[in-house]
Amino acid sequence: MPPDYVGKVVIDNLPLLLEGFWITIWLSILSSLISLVLGTVIGVARIVPFRPLRSFGTVYVEFFRNTPLLIQLFFFYHGLPRAGITFSAFESALWSLAIYHAAYVAEAVRAGIQSIHRGQMEAARSLGFSYLATMRYIILPQAFAIVIPPLGNLFIALLKNTSLASTIAVAELLYQGEVLDSRTFRTFEIFTAVGILYLCLTLPLGGFVNLVERRLARAGRGA
Amino acid sequence: MAPMISFRKVNKWFGSNHVLKDVTFDVVEGEVVVICGPSGSGKSTLIRCINRLEPIGNGELVVDGISVNDRKADINRLRQEIGIVFQSFNLFPHMTALENITLAPLKVRKMSKEEAEATGLRLLARVGMPEKANAYPAHLSGGQQQRVAIARALAMHPKIMLFDEPTSALDPEMIKEVLDAMKDLVKDGMTMVVVTHEMGFAREVSHRITFMDNGIIVEENTPAEFFANPRSERTKQFLSKILKH
Amino acid sequence: MKRLLTFFSWVILLSLALGLVAGCGPTPVPPTPTKAAPTKAPEGTLLRKIQDRGKLILGVKYDVPLFGYLNPQTNQLEGFDVALGKEIAKKIFGDETKVEFKQAVSKDRIPFLQQDVVDLIISTMTITEAREKEIDFSEVYYLAGQSLLVPKGSPIKSIADLEGRTVASVKGSTSEKNIREKAPKANVILFDSYSECVTAMVGKRAEAVTTDDIILAGFASQNKDLTLVGGLFTYEPYGIGIKKGNKELVDLVNGVIRDLKASGRWKEIYTKEIGDKAGIPAPVPPIGDWREIMKSAPK
Repeated sequence: MPPDYVGKVVIDNLPLLLEGFWITIWLSILSSLISLVLGTVIGVARIVPFRPLRSFGTVYVEFFRNTPLLIQLFFFYHGLPRAGITFSAFESALWSLAIYHAAYVAEAVRAGIQSIHRGQMEAARSLGFSYLATMRYIILPQAFAIVIPPLGNLFIALLKNTSLASTIAVAELLYQGEVLDSRTFRTFEIFTAVGILYLCLTLPLGGFVNLVERRLARAGRGA
Repeated sequence: MAPMISFRKVNKWFGSNHVLKDVTFDVVEGEVVVICGPSGSGKSTLIRCINRLEPIGNGELVVDGISVNDRKADINRLRQEIGIVFQSFNLFPHMTALENITLAPLKVRKMSKEEAEATGLRLLARVGMPEKANAYPAHLSGGQQQRVAIARALAMHPKIMLFDEPTSALDPEMIKEVLDAMKDLVKDGMTMVVVTHEMGFAREVSHRITFMDNGIIVEENTPAEFFANPRSERTKQFLSKILKH
Repeated sequence: MKRLLTFFSWVILLSLALGLVAGCGPTPVPPTPTKAAPTKAPEGTLLRKIQDRGKLILGVKYDVPLFGYLNPQTNQLEGFDVALGKEIAKKIFGDETKVEFKQAVSKDRIPFLQQDVVDLIISTMTITEAREKEIDFSEVYYLAGQSLLVPKGSPIKSIADLEGRTVASVKGSTSEKNIREKAPKANVILFDSYSECVTAMVGKRAEAVTTDDIILAGFASQNKDLTLVGGLFTYEPYGIGIKKGNKELVDLVNGVIRDLKASGRWKEIYTKEIGDKAGIPAPVPPIGDWREIMKSAPK
């Protein structure tokens, strides 16, 4: 029998871990995109001059931001089937991650929009732009530049939160790590490898956020 | 001929603050009217009512045949006919000078890209800065920014141009370039309402000067009469202060 | 505070003894209290430490109905493991109340022994070679086995029917390992607890849940729509876990287990704690070394 070097268990089972790694990436990308769109709509809803929409936005943000993600996950996975609605495990994770983080996106977007000077809205409306067109062409592009750093950090948090999907048997990175651990009992090596794989995703993302932040700071200096 | 802009007994309040009091005021096509008065007199509010940046309280305000505060009025349509230039420029910082100018023609007027850019470049040349088409606002001086703002408003081919203290935020050496751009418009016969303290501009190019104080139009007169024979005490006081320096 | 409690325990014990005396009427010689406190074990042993402490500390589960379960209605611990623990306390102190229970979830069981958090683990723990390297086990006190829990009317009748179907189990459990071996064509999905497995099955996320039959029986006794099928396809000999190097405690525990089996008390406890609740007749108690028992396990 060849000697069992440190990390052999990881090398031998890399295909399984990578299977989980890809699911983690997919889950992160899809839920980030959905939360970005949904969060932007909710964020705009929170400031439009139409009270029912504003109230809806506020209720959404306060509700989803102030309940644990794990509960939302269990609600989608275990709860909804009792009401006759069954999402797959992956879909349950996708939607709960998206809906939960959309509340945070909405708050970042709202803060970004409110930091744009009132004169921008007035100038655009004076040119004949509708409210929504003004949002689309003038306010949101500027607001997004401002909220890219907070959104970047939010998506890093989202990426890490995908690990909660392991509790509803989504075969993502942590789940595969746990399965491997229970087969081999090489806990230290396996979870070190799992941690490193998460870092492979979060560190570049963090670096990208920093880069954009510096770019924006430079671009904004003359203003 | 019906006036282009017509205020009839217009009142407006900010909370309990009565900022426009029974204002009745007309501007006919091709007329250049300067509104002056001490700060807080309501002159900026008056001009901002014309394109409904501020809604009026009561009374009647008709612009280009449209009752501005009518619920059925297509305000976006009306605003396309009214250009406005702000004290703080309000250029879109994420767009170049040319993009600032062409955005509304492209997206609101649905003009073709070629046509919008040709118009934009022509207008930039007209305000004396053809070489700045691709510059971002952050890299332009205040005077340059304000001239781009004028070009942006003109790109919609408005029937009326409103100026809300266009030179108040500028360093003295830049005021002239903006006033020159405005004078150029007067030559073209543009209908203009200008809130300004630039009495030289008022005397030289305006057709009429309106003096406001405390929400009331105190006096309206031709420039020559306004400066030579002010009728009210308030006007005299104001002129003595503003002309001293 | 502890001293005060000890004092009160003595007062209560004394009153009980007096009551006993009164009840016995004219009997001149009271039963010797030494029967309740047999000879002390040698200094330095864990058993002596327990005796000096005056109570036994046990790690049990709080969430496994029929074995170790904190009944939310009564706020009392109940189940086979709990009853067994009381029998051991009775042996040591002559008093089954001299016992303190601590919650020990599966992953805490071995660390709790090694770090002296508890004296014994009676927590539905299967004896395995791997675990025997870490801790000592008593004789088999209960022979469980892995089975299948399904909704009533399920097409699944035995382990052979699992092919291509989804079966739920707990991450890192023996059950997970077993089902992968015995039903390699089943789709196994894993959760953190058995109740999540059952919830997932009720939500039609899985068609069966697999683990020790007695744990499944607990869920079946709570949810009348669920039932056990397929019998035992593994043997899971449950043993009491004891920290290594405590022979006198192992001997004492084994003595208790043997006495219970021989005297018929084992069946009484089974019927009271399990049989009546889950509708299962008391089986013959397992006898012999766990390795011997495993030899007769289904292949």
